[in-house]
Amino acid sequence: MQEKKPKNIFVQGAIAASFIADSIQKHKSQTGIGGHSIFLGQVRADIMGEKKVASIEYTAYEEMALEIMHIIREAIFAKYPLTCLHVHHSLGNIAAGEICLFVFASSAHRKAAMDACGETVERLKAELPIWGKELFEDETYKWKENI
Amino acid sequence: MEINLIIFGKLIDITGSAAMTIKNVADTAQLNEQLHSRYPALSSYPYVIAVEQEIVHANTPLKNKDTVALLPPYAGG
Repeated sequence: MQEKKPKNIFVQGAIAASFIADSIQKHKSQTGIGGHSIFLGQVRADIMGEKKVASIEYTAYEEMALEIMHIIREAIFAKYPLTCLHVHHSLGNIAAGEICLFVFASSAHRKAAMDACGETVERLKAELPIWGKELFEDETYKWKENI
Repeated sequence: MEINLIIFGKLIDITGSAAMTIKNVADTAQLNEQLHSRYPALSSYPYVIAVEQEIVHANTPLKNKDTVALLPPYAGG
C-alpha cells in the first residue's frame, strides 16, 4: 500500500456557506452517490455568568492533527462503504454564528453516509490536538472544554 | 543535549511562551520534573506529552533535538 500524504483539513477563518454549496455541487458528476451526510459546527455564543462568547480563536498542533486525521479517515473508509469523506476545520478567530467545522460524507446509501459522518465528528473532536479560546465581548477569555 | 518544547492551549498561559528549548533532560520524567519546578501551576493541570508527534504515557527517553509537545485536553469542533 502506498503512503499518501495526509490531506490538509485546516482553513484560516470561517467556512463560508458558498464553499459548502460549491462542495455539494462538485459531487454532481459522481452519480454512484445516493446520499450525503453533512455536519456543520457553528460557534455558539455561550453565556457564562454575565459574559457572552463573541468568538473562538482556534489553534492546533497541525502536523500531528493531520497525521491523526489520516488514521481516522482510513479507519472510517475501512468500516463504511463510502464514496468520499471531506473534513474542514477552521483556525484563527471565528465569530459566533460562523461555521468552524464541515464534515461531508457521501455513499451509495444514506445509512453509511450518516453513520460515517457522525463517527468522524465524534472521533475528530476527541482525538485531534485542536484548542479553542473563547473570547468574550469584554475581551477576557476562557479556554473551551469539549463535553 | 537539548529538546524543543512546544506548548499549546491553556498551558501557554502558565509557561508564558509557546516554544522553548530545554536542556539536560534525558527522559520525559526529567522533563516533567524540570517543568514542574519552573512552573508549579503545571502540576495541577492535566496534559499529555507527545514526543515527535506520538503521545507517550510511560516515561520515555528523549534524544537530542527531539520535538516534545505539551497537549492540554482537546477542544476542536
